[in-house]
Amino acid sequence: MIELLKRLLRTPQGAVGLVLVILVFIVVIFGPLLAPRDPEAMSILARYKGPSANFLLGTDQYGRDILSRLLIGARSTVTMAVFATLAGTFAGAFIGTVSAFLGGRADEIIMRTIDAIMAIPNLLFALLIVNLLGSSSINALVAVAVAFAPGMARITRSVALAVRKQDYVSAAIARGESSSYIILREMLPNVVAPIVVETTIRVSFAVMLFATLSFLGLGAQPPATEWGLMVSEARQYMHISAGILIWPSLAIAIVAIGFNLLGDGLRDALNPRTGG
Amino acid sequence: MTETANNTVLQVHNYSLDYLTAGGTFRALKNINLEVGAGEILGLVGESGSGKTSMAWSIMRYLPANARETGGEIRLRGENLTAKSPAEVNRMRGKRISMVFQDPGTSLNPTLSLGTQLTETLRRHRGLTGKQAWSEGEAMLDRVGLKSPAEMMKRMPHEASGGEKQRVVIATAFACNPECIIFDEPTTALDVITSRQILDLFLGLQAETGVASLYISHDLALLSRTARRVAVIRRGEIVEQGAVDDIFNAPQHDYTRQLIAAVPRPSDRLTQTRPSYEDQPLMKVENVSVHYGRKPFLSALTGRSFERFAGNRAVSLSVQPGEILGIVGESGSGKSTLAKAVTGLNPFEGQITFAGRRIAGLADMDRAYRKNVQMIFQHPDASLNPRQKIREILARPLKLYGSGEGGSLPQRIGDMLEQVRLPRTHADRYPHQLSGGEKQRVAIARAFASRPKLVICDEITSALDVSVQASIIELLLELHREHSTAFLFITHDLNLIRQIAHRIAVMYRGDLLEIVPAEEITSPERADYTRRLLAAVPTPAGAPRQNQTSKEH
Repeated sequence: MIELLKRLLRTPQGAVGLVLVILVFIVVIFGPLLAPRDPEAMSILARYKGPSANFLLGTDQYGRDILSRLLIGARSTVTMAVFATLAGTFAGAFIGTVSAFLGGRADEIIMRTIDAIMAIPNLLFALLIVNLLGSSSINALVAVAVAFAPGMARITRSVALAVRKQDYVSAAIARGESSSYIILREMLPNVVAPIVVETTIRVSFAVMLFATLSFLGLGAQPPATEWGLMVSEARQYMHISAGILIWPSLAIAIVAIGFNLLGDGLRDALNPRTGG
Repeated sequence: MTETANNTVLQVHNYSLDYLTAGGTFRALKNINLEVGAGEILGLVGESGSGKTSMAWSIMRYLPANARETGGEIRLRGENLTAKSPAEVNRMRGKRISMVFQDPGTSLNPTLSLGTQLTETLRRHRGLTGKQAWSEGEAMLDRVGLKSPAEMMKRMPHEASGGEKQRVVIATAFACNPECIIFDEPTTALDVITSRQILDLFLGLQAETGVASLYISHDLALLSRTARRVAVIRRGEIVEQGAVDDIFNAPQHDYTRQLIAAVPRPSDRLTQTRPSYEDQPLMKVENVSVHYGRKPFLSALTGRSFERFAGNRAVSLSVQPGEILGIVGESGSGKSTLAKAVTGLNPFEGQITFAGRRIAGLADMDRAYRKNVQMIFQHPDASLNPRQKIREILARPLKLYGSGEGGSLPQRIGDMLEQVRLPRTHADRYPHQLSGGEKQRVAIARAFASRPKLVICDEITSALDVSVQASIIELLLELHREHSTAFLFITHDLNLIRQIAHRIAVMYRGDLLEIVPAEEITSPERADYTRRLLAAVPTPAGAPRQNQTSKEH
């Protein structure tokens, strides 16, 4: 574990990504404590204010403090993205490994179904699910998870196929082990590394997907402090004060970039051949 | 060969090499002194990790970034190579000194035709035009004994067999008439008969051109047939150097003695047991065929005919209780396919009878059958799950088949480790923390956990060094005596199998050619292929020793 961290810090993208992600998680955990003001306290006199000593990042159309809203919104935005990605990853990894293990006709059926689902763009697919289930944060989470599962299944399957050919899997089959033991204990632990990398990168996709869903009014509902929703609401007032739009957009970008860089760094760190 | 030993081409003088690693400096080569004269073949023999390949790369001046040369010189015709600039080395490489690699499958670029790769050297170092180089290349392929060289030039690497590819690599190495060629295990990746042909080709070309050759190998038997002088390298140090006959007949250093003792000699029988051929056979394989490939969905729809690849064609054989049956053959002969069919890893047609029970397919292989038929795989790296501790690996068969007599689970795991002569504390380690030989011992312990009646060994020693191989064989035979276990021992090493097997089955391209008692394998009535196989195997030089001791330390 320490070794992995060292290798991660040796690459510039890994080091920057790690710092950004740690910062994001500090905000997620301590955000509500750090927030200087009540995120929902409106003030008619202080609308569309630029950054000042009172409001570090200015105020929005109702005179609410943008910094406080961002700090508190981090929790719902980032946690949702992480959970949705994790759920999608677990489902996808399991389907992919099972498919690779079964092989033959079953593999063909599973993978062609997944191909068909993947033909629908992620966003469209998520919209479809949210429309079916109704718009709420939890449903958006389910939608993103379901939208991610097929891609993860494909990636896991390609890795699992290589693992399937390893002699330790043959040995387990020859020994008469049950399928569930082989899939869960012999195969899954050996496909983890590429999945971890892919998951990290996908968190940033999820953040953006959530933002898009909220922007379209299908995710979190006002007056929630979700970042995508903040961007969506700010759109009408951007002519009056650009800050309302810029700050939440910047926050989303930082999270996305952080996870992306961390994913890149992890890919190098987990691959023993690229590390020195 | 003429005596030109004083005409030194390559000289390595007091050469030392370090690698900088995360755990400190690792001394790969220590004060190496070597000399190769024109027309001479110097054999460099050592086990894996002994530094023989590092030596080759130092001479080729192609060292990794973390290598540090700490002293000494490498001279080619008196010029010190270590002092040369990269540009000078580039001009020299391929022209004055070249190299033949172990695996022609990876040393050739799969996206370029064989001709392009061969002519590149000619154009670069001899300044020939494209056309000249091409016709010169054809002449060279002809010289290395390839039929229809013109056609071979146009082929891609995947369209040529391993032997043909290695011939092209050798042609490239000889292309510019270099002064010195380094051969790094050039026949290890090839089949027995092919490697013999390549070896004959090498000896012919070597005598013809008088090139100074450094022949690196782990195979003492092979070196004794090719080289005139041999240097034995161990952990970066040359422990002994001298004429082949001296080294084999009167080895001075302990390590050399150990190495020579570990070379399998057909004349030394290691098995004393005699199975009874009157009894009911333990396993009877009747007309077992294995086919690979599945009818593609599309050709089923369009009604296109589809031919499956036959891995085994109607193989029939039987194993007596307590018998060691050897199966030999080249790669692709269907040895492993048969093993997989018998262990239920491949679907098969035909019938297997085990201890009187009929097994018609995978569905009949229940827990009792699997408990009695265990398999040990070729690569211990691949057959032990890298994410599981030894404890977990060894506990599985106990949980599956019942731990039988004798105490708690940790107790039994410790006993299993002791049975294969590993310390009990190894239970807490991961496979990557063990050496290759130790890993294979763990695999053996796992196979013997259920006290099986038949153990299938699929090339279990081919990934190991000679001395480790000897100790693994010793362990297997001990288990064989103790539990009177029957073995199906699959190998391509004829010398080894003649030492241990009661009967030997010869396979060729999916067919079982014949099964003969081990003593009678050399008799002239054997099948043509069997005789060719035997003739291709290099037998170790030197008189067979009376008191063979093969111990691993």
